[in-house]
Amino acid sequence: MKVFQKILPLIFLLASCSKDDYEPIVYDNPELSINIPVVFPKLNNSFYANKPTKYGVALGEKLFHEKRFSADNTISCASCHIQSSAFADNNVQAIGIEGRIGLRNTPPIQNLAFMRFYNWDGSKLSLENQPIVPIITHEEMDSSILEVIGKIQNDASYKELFQKTFGDENITPERIYRSIAQYEYTLISANSKYDKVKRNEATFTENEMQGYQVFQQKCATCHSTELFTDQTFRNIGFPINTNSNEAGRARVTGNMDEYMSFRVPSLRNVEYTSPYGSFGQFATLKDVLDYFDNGVLGADNLDPVFKNNGNRIPLTEQEKEILISFMKTLSDVEFTGH
Amino acid sequence: MRNLKKYLFLSAVSLAFVSCSSDDDASAVANNVTLSFKNTFGDTEIILGGATSSSASVNTSDAGQVHRFSELKYVISNIRLIKADGTEIPYNVNNLDKGAMVIDQSKSSSLSYIMNNIPTGEYKQIKFGLGVRSDLNTLDQTRFPNFYATAGANDTEMMWEWGTGYRFTKIEGFYDTDNKEMSIHTGSTVEGTNGDESTYIQGVDAYRNIVLDLPVNAVVGSKAPKINIKADFDKLLSGVSNTITLSTGNGMGDNATPNIHTAVQMVKFVDNIGGNGTTDNKGMFSVLNVEN
Repeated sequence: MKVFQKILPLIFLLASCSKDDYEPIVYDNPELSINIPVVFPKLNNSFYANKPTKYGVALGEKLFHEKRFSADNTISCASCHIQSSAFADNNVQAIGIEGRIGLRNTPPIQNLAFMRFYNWDGSKLSLENQPIVPIITHEEMDSSILEVIGKIQNDASYKELFQKTFGDENITPERIYRSIAQYEYTLISANSKYDKVKRNEATFTENEMQGYQVFQQKCATCHSTELFTDQTFRNIGFPINTNSNEAGRARVTGNMDEYMSFRVPSLRNVEYTSPYGSFGQFATLKDVLDYFDNGVLGADNLDPVFKNNGNRIPLTEQEKEILISFMKTLSDVEFTGH
Repeated sequence: MRNLKKYLFLSAVSLAFVSCSSDDDASAVANNVTLSFKNTFGDTEIILGGATSSSASVNTSDAGQVHRFSELKYVISNIRLIKADGTEIPYNVNNLDKGAMVIDQSKSSSLSYIMNNIPTGEYKQIKFGLGVRSDLNTLDQTRFPNFYATAGANDTEMMWEWGTGYRFTKIEGFYDTDNKEMSIHTGSTVEGTNGDESTYIQGVDAYRNIVLDLPVNAVVGSKAPKINIKADFDKLLSGVSNTITLSTGNGMGDNATPNIHTAVQMVKFVDNIGGNGTTDNKGMFSVLNVEN
């Protein structure tokens, strides 16, 4: 019995350290009802496994603006993904901490719930797998997920939001990634003039209408669907980024046929996302159209759209003008806050 | 209560036995096995050096290109020892903190790896991975903080951030008589969930399973054997799978640098040093000898 006499008080001592009087408050965290445009492509499967909730989205938005994600607390996701630029920025290539220059042009964050591939090379297939990348990349935030958690874990406002979202205060990498993705799923741009025309709530001007017709003839092969991208990867002979980390889609797949191929960009809010090209080769939309008209770089795997047409898309000055008029109808002032 | 005391006593006695055991106790149930890696060009151990170094080892490829390395690192994981009767003894194969290593030619301490508590017996074969298996290759700092820290250290740089995985090899050096830069990094770019049909799987798996027969059985018991493994980097350019000619430029076929930090040219190098996974499962590795 002596053993018990010695051990029992120990057990009580340990038990008294646990929070007996702590009763977790259970918050109602309903799924958000999201207005999904019926004409958009189907949702990415990951969405169904991580549906946006009231507090998950609020937490994700807060994390998206959290500068402590970066090693020197200067950069958040929102530093490069700026709402007025359709959650892209207007730099040639992304700029991380200490002015470090990234490999590529910042992609806009819009309608990602409907995408099958993320990043210009499609390196990620679900949004939940993406947030770790900028956190650890030297040219971006140059931190680590445990360093981030260490900085925010004693912040009462985070404790409350993790509690409300996940039922307890534990801050885990997975929870951070999931809540950021939830927030991003809600960033849907579907209220441009183009959308209003489609809904018979507005009408195109004469120029916009003609531009739309030229667009359908000369651009809509690749910039198809209501997202204005068919989400394929194509080499369209843009000037090449000579950085040794760049091979376009082939960087991921190792497939030579995809060398320097990039995901066809959505043209929604394209007015706000200059410069253009995987590393910002073109300052204006007019520059891009002039390049198509003058002729692109040849390559073995140059897209047939160009290869079969003398490496170019011939466009008159008038056509360029009205195409730009049409593309500006894809601007969503509500989404971008303009 | 008496029983409890009896058990406690017995445990104490057995603990005492364990602590009394020593190398020459034939009844040992387990012992260490040391893996020692010798990185060579042919039979000569590599000396690292820059373009102007007079001491750096210089090798000539089958294609006739001289080359030298200034940096040489690779990851070994998923180690398994095979007993003479065929039983496979895995060594922390699901734990990168306890079962994986970054070999760095510039750090002699990294060239040996001691595996603890290997069951007594005779071993005829060793298997290990060059690189990290896809299911563990996620840069999971929470699960494997030590390996994450080792691989991510500023003087190691064995992470492929954009692919959310580790670099499996990192070779920097110079080639041809005019000492052009060569920079060969390998790693996996696999993305997608295996077995989930709704998820498309893309990318290149640069992990390679290496299988090496031991020239004599390694005997674990009263003694702790050491297995000396040679990694012959002559195979990098002159391998079983590919004879590679390095070229510098921006074209699709250029492989020395740039564009080697991607999946495009990588697989040829991976097949040479890690085997192609089908007809060759040795790559550049061989067992020099076993010290029993």
